[in-house]
Amino acid sequence: MSEHQAERPLGGPIFTPTLFVLLAIIFSGAALVCYRLLFGLGAVSAMNDGYAWGIWKPLNVVTFTGIGAGAYAVGLLTYVFNRWQYHSLVRSAIVVGAMAYTLGGTSVLIDLGRWWNLWVTFYPPLYNLNSVLLEVAVCVMTYTAVLWVELTPPILEQASRWKYEPVRRVAKWGLPWVRKALPFVISVALLLPTMHQSSLGGLYMITPTKLHALWYTPWLSGLFLMSCVTMGFGAVVIVENLTSLNYRRRMDQRLLGRMAPVPAMLVLSFIAIRLIDIAVQGKLPYIWTFDFYSKLFLVEMALFLTPALLMLLRSVRKNRGGLFISGVLLVLAGTVYRFDTYLIAYKPTTGWVYFPSLGELLFSACLASTGIAVYIVMIKVFPILSGVPSRKKPTIVAQA
Amino acid sequence: MNLSRREWFRGLSAAGIAAVAAPAAHAREAKTVHPEDVGMLYDSTRCVGCRACTTRCKEVNGLPLDVVKTDGVAYNAPEDLSASNKSILKLYKNGETEAFVKRQCMHCADPACVSVCMAGALHKTQNGIVAYNKNVCVGCRYCQIACAFDVPKFTWNEPLPLIVKCEMCRHRPEGPACCEACPRGAMTTGTMAGLTEEAHRRIGNDPDKYDPKIYGEHDGGGLHVLYLTSKAVSFENLGLPDVPEQPIPQTSETVQHTLYKGFVAPAALFGLFTFAQYFNERRRQAAEDAQRENKS
Ligand code: SF4
Ligand code: SF4
Ligand code: SF4
Repeated sequence: MSEHQAERPLGGPIFTPTLFVLLAIIFSGAALVCYRLLFGLGAVSAMNDGYAWGIWKPLNVVTFTGIGAGAYAVGLLTYVFNRWQYHSLVRSAIVVGAMAYTLGGTSVLIDLGRWWNLWVTFYPPLYNLNSVLLEVAVCVMTYTAVLWVELTPPILEQASRWKYEPVRRVAKWGLPWVRKALPFVISVALLLPTMHQSSLGGLYMITPTKLHALWYTPWLSGLFLMSCVTMGFGAVVIVENLTSLNYRRRMDQRLLGRMAPVPAMLVLSFIAIRLIDIAVQGKLPYIWTFDFYSKLFLVEMALFLTPALLMLLRSVRKNRGGLFISGVLLVLAGTVYRFDTYLIAYKPTTGWVYFPSLGELLFSACLASTGIAVYIVMIKVFPILSGVPSRKKPTIVAQA
Repeated sequence: MNLSRREWFRGLSAAGIAAVAAPAAHAREAKTVHPEDVGMLYDSTRCVGCRACTTRCKEVNGLPLDVVKTDGVAYNAPEDLSASNKSILKLYKNGETEAFVKRQCMHCADPACVSVCMAGALHKTQNGIVAYNKNVCVGCRYCQIACAFDVPKFTWNEPLPLIVKCEMCRHRPEGPACCEACPRGAMTTGTMAGLTEEAHRRIGNDPDKYDPKIYGEHDGGGLHVLYLTSKAVSFENLGLPDVPEQPIPQTSETVQHTLYKGFVAPAALFGLFTFAQYFNERRRQAAEDAQRENKS
């Protein structure tokens, strides 16, 4: 069954100092959540009637899942465009995706004022199909589940080697079934992000009078979809680099380098579509007013353009540091685009001001820490990463 | 160059919709004001700023006072629409010129808040009122993002929060309390047909005094609250935002309906992805077989 077992668990101790630091942040975040449940959102956040979504939506939901879109990006490349060589990147990307989406969903749950009414999203007779947010909610919840289903093969593979006979038997029985169903699961896993990542842009199509002209366009959906793919590729590059720097594994620089032109070309088309759309709508003059928004736009464009151009250079693709920085810039560009649309270029009519509170930042840090902690534990226990040297005797790790 | 924010959405209706919807469908139809629907008319030239309306609004809606103490005397001094003010009276002052404006929900004919609300917590009633049903509200606050008038408010400091906005006193059989309370007939209620006629009559009777435009007749695709102002004070001065005449939800709903029509596009994508995997897998197998044969 392990005939093409490219991925292996890293092994090694689970409870490292890093994990304890992360746990500390996680627990303070959890305390904050309790406080929020007792005293309301206003008690922990600076959100107000003018800036009703604050940073939690653009950061915890839209940026996190953009980073988690690596699973979508690499999945499309591997399965649809038949670049099987990238298959070794898929599992790690799915773990990142599963965490990013689970946390994004958790954030929404904490952020919903009347969270106990969430049952309405499971009750189709009430659905208002015009609501882009409904599409996002249902789709993101489903996709989160699908991502975890996609992770059953590595989990079962590992379980079939555990020392408890019943666990082994169940795992061995289940694995062929899961493998058979996998193509359909993968199709769903590619369809859902296409839907909700575009909808995350579509959410702001309802704000023509509040979102600045350089960001408001009926093409928001398409632009968000494209930029989530570029963010996803960037995130894959980052995670590959970080795991090989921190753990005993070999990273395939050539593989990442060969992939790099894909996000680069996507970014260039993203920029082209945006500029053409702005021109068609007759909004070009806004670019050179050199007021705050025009500068913001130019910075954003530069952030997109730089990694794209870098990744087209062969010398950068061969260079580990160069490619890593391009990856970071890719994620950063997508993040800034998301923040601009959701927060900075968005202006309510009356004079509201907003700056995130410590509580909001702490909760976001708590979510990020949870993601990192679970990812680290997952790659140590389960066969997620490729390029891990085999050990004669796999270390038995504590199973809680 | 100075491009004001009111220009932001110019050109949207023509170029924007055409660009998105041209290949597939036509724009979803606008929802319009029905002549028999209820509405309100606010005449800024008649208002003396006594705030009888907003005081009464608080009473009938059971909203707390916003107490501010000045020189030891407590006043009810709300600053803007808020979770404790479904209605507010604001003053515009420029030298000698003074004018008041009453703000509350506009009860749009084609409301953005209703378009975005996922389970219909904000919904349109039979007679055109935009009403709120807390039992299916998840508290996502998308309505606050969507409303071009920044009307829906949220009780931020409650563990069990609510959206608060004017519901045209639908709980009162007598109708809007603010209109009842107004001693000067500045705020009146009636059917949309009646109110529009009345507004036109006032402008026609005194064309020197009134701005010829009725704010809300076409703005935002038609509002159920109409505004009149004097020639001396523009609607912009009164703080009424410049909104496109095309209903705001039209763009997003057109795009959404086009993409998801009959769920055809998503189903097609699913099919494509599954087929691609099947096809690619076969090619990969064939390649592997060929390799093996070459070796042997
Ligand atoms: S003014 Fe705002 S809250 Fe009132 S109906 Fe229109 S969109 Fe909804
Ligand atoms: S906060 Fe409530 S009323 Fe407003 S859009 Fe969300 S569910 Fe609807
Ligand atoms: S209609 Fe009722 S709720 Fe609305 S502003 Fe008037 S008094 Fe207040």
